[in-house]
Amino acid sequence: MAPILMESSPFASHFADLKPLLEITGPAWLQSARERGFHEFEAVGVPTTRDEEFKYLPLRPLTEWKLAPAHGATLDRQQVAKLTLGEIDAITLTFINGQFAPEVSTDDLLPDGVFVLPFEDAFLAMPETFEKWLGKVATTSQKLGTTNDDRFIALNTAFLQDGAFVYVPKNTKIVRPIHLQFVSDASVSPIAIHPRVLVVLEDHAEAVILESHVGQTGQYFTNPVTEVVLGAGAQLEHVRYQDETDSAVHIGNFAVHQSENSVLNSIVAQFGSAIARLDATVWVGGSNAETWLNGASVGRGHQRIDNHTRIDHALPHCQSFEVYKTILDDHAHGVFNGKIFVYQDAQKTDAKQTNQGLLLSPTAELDTKPQLEIFADDVKCTHGATVGQLREDALFYLRARGIPKKEAEALLVYAFAAEVFEKISEPSIQAAIEARLFQKLA
Amino acid sequence: MLTITNLHAKIDEKSILKGVNLQINPGEVHAIMGPNGSGKSTLASILAGKADYEVTEGTVEFEGQDLLELDPEERAAEGLFLAFQYPVEIPGVTNTYFLRTALNNVRKHRGLPELTMSEFTKHIKSKVEMMELPSSLLSRSVNEGFSGGEKKRNEIFQMAVLEPKLCVLDETDSGLDIDALKVVSHGVNSLRSPERAVLVITHYQRLLDYIRPDFVHVLIGGKIVKSGGPELALELEANGYSLIEGELAVAA
Repeated sequence: MAPILMESSPFASHFADLKPLLEITGPAWLQSARERGFHEFEAVGVPTTRDEEFKYLPLRPLTEWKLAPAHGATLDRQQVAKLTLGEIDAITLTFINGQFAPEVSTDDLLPDGVFVLPFEDAFLAMPETFEKWLGKVATTSQKLGTTNDDRFIALNTAFLQDGAFVYVPKNTKIVRPIHLQFVSDASVSPIAIHPRVLVVLEDHAEAVILESHVGQTGQYFTNPVTEVVLGAGAQLEHVRYQDETDSAVHIGNFAVHQSENSVLNSIVAQFGSAIARLDATVWVGGSNAETWLNGASVGRGHQRIDNHTRIDHALPHCQSFEVYKTILDDHAHGVFNGKIFVYQDAQKTDAKQTNQGLLLSPTAELDTKPQLEIFADDVKCTHGATVGQLREDALFYLRARGIPKKEAEALLVYAFAAEVFEKISEPSIQAAIEARLFQKLA
Repeated sequence: MLTITNLHAKIDEKSILKGVNLQINPGEVHAIMGPNGSGKSTLASILAGKADYEVTEGTVEFEGQDLLELDPEERAAEGLFLAFQYPVEIPGVTNTYFLRTALNNVRKHRGLPELTMSEFTKHIKSKVEMMELPSSLLSRSVNEGFSGGEKKRNEIFQMAVLEPKLCVLDETDSGLDIDALKVVSHGVNSLRSPERAVLVITHYQRLLDYIRPDFVHVLIGGKIVKSGGPELALELEANGYSLIEGELAVAA
């Protein structure tokens, strides 16, 4: 058979250029993982709308922008504070264009055995944990599904260099939130950034993590991958806040491995980017686990916001609750694709998926696709999708109490999304995100 | 205060009000009674400014202004309040935030300074107690998951907070048990004053045992066919609407 000749992606030259640097970063096994990732991506390349998983997401900028590999940039504390959620008292690691920036991070004394580190330090502090989990969570190989597509995860691995590592040992609860913030600054030329996060909560550990992705200026492509491992009975609240510049392309992956009795509370806020995509993927690999996936996206102008979620119920007696909401104005285009797989062994699964869209303009569009594949016979799985305008009866009620029409409309739009952010337990994070939501809608 | 003259209205080509006349002065309590489908709730909705109805003839004057020209929010700001028959649930908006926003808009319209959160809390304190509202209801989303009685008490609570000139109660008694009925009536009575008027719309006489009207009007077939004092309500309770309907048929 003749080999299929493929045009190489814009990332091939990046890989060649960065190779000498990557080779000397981290342990040896990592370099072979990078090589594998690179070849896996190059075999398929930048997706087109003919690829099922990217059907509604034109990614032409990735080939047209003449992306350069990310370069270093310096931002001071004030600049960073302006971009991020502001004053949040948290253990903070900041990365600028993918590189750890200690000058805008905090240096905290952490409880024994707890690590919140940039990769460079994590490679040394916990090499075994690192090797055990990196790349093992964010993958759909060996899992159900006919359109599984991990190409951007592979691409991220190919360029894996710096990132954030969080480790919480057994029976330890971290009260202060952990803030991992990724700031992009493409003031010189369009760049490609591949941030990575690995979070490991051992049995009965507890933490609250805020992961922010924000931009200072310019056109850039950021491709962050977060992997989370939850041990038995572990509890994680993870808030993912995306507010990149309005010309950015953000393709994110958030992948979680849950063990028995663990609880995941994931809250996603998608506000920024010209093109934003998130794949939130949960492998429920233990019984009696609880999974909460909440998301709210706001799109205006010509923004494209694409949320894909996937829950694999592999074991019995687990519950998942999913609420994703999308607000679209002007010519914005939204996508929601929610997959739930219930494996043959996963009896007594209780899965509930809700997807709601609010269209504020006749030219806004939302494509929604729930996808439930069930191979067990004693389960409860429901899904509901609604797309609509503001409720007339609610609007009239507010106006009949003296609230002017425009203010009443704004209040209802805000409330629609705010309901999602009520799931955030940390008041300072909730207030900061709701304030940004208010600004975004104004 | 309120003068309704020869009001005709329709919805989807169906004529509902066919020439309503009504005069309400400050300090008075009026009751409009009538069988189902007589147009009672339509009248309430038109007063509050619901867009579904089309006024085809007649006028409504409120405090010297053409009420029908005002937006719903302007009517509220001018001092008209409708207690809804079916209060609307609004997930995501807390009761307190909603009410403070409403009050401050109304105050702004009246040339009064806006209230801060602590001033607002002070303003509503006695009213919360009067309506026997658990404080947890204040921090919950507007009407969401409230029982029928809680919703109606919440309506009268809002009325007490906004201090309108004219209170219109649309079947506030429907779905209330006797205890809730007493709380609601007490709330309404406490608002009675020489400057304020109340219009009670109801199917049953029961509510009028607690909120004593000065005038009772019978609305049938989109027209007020009979008016009188509180004794008219008792008469209707004893004989039902059919007697009046019979009288009308004979007269015709």
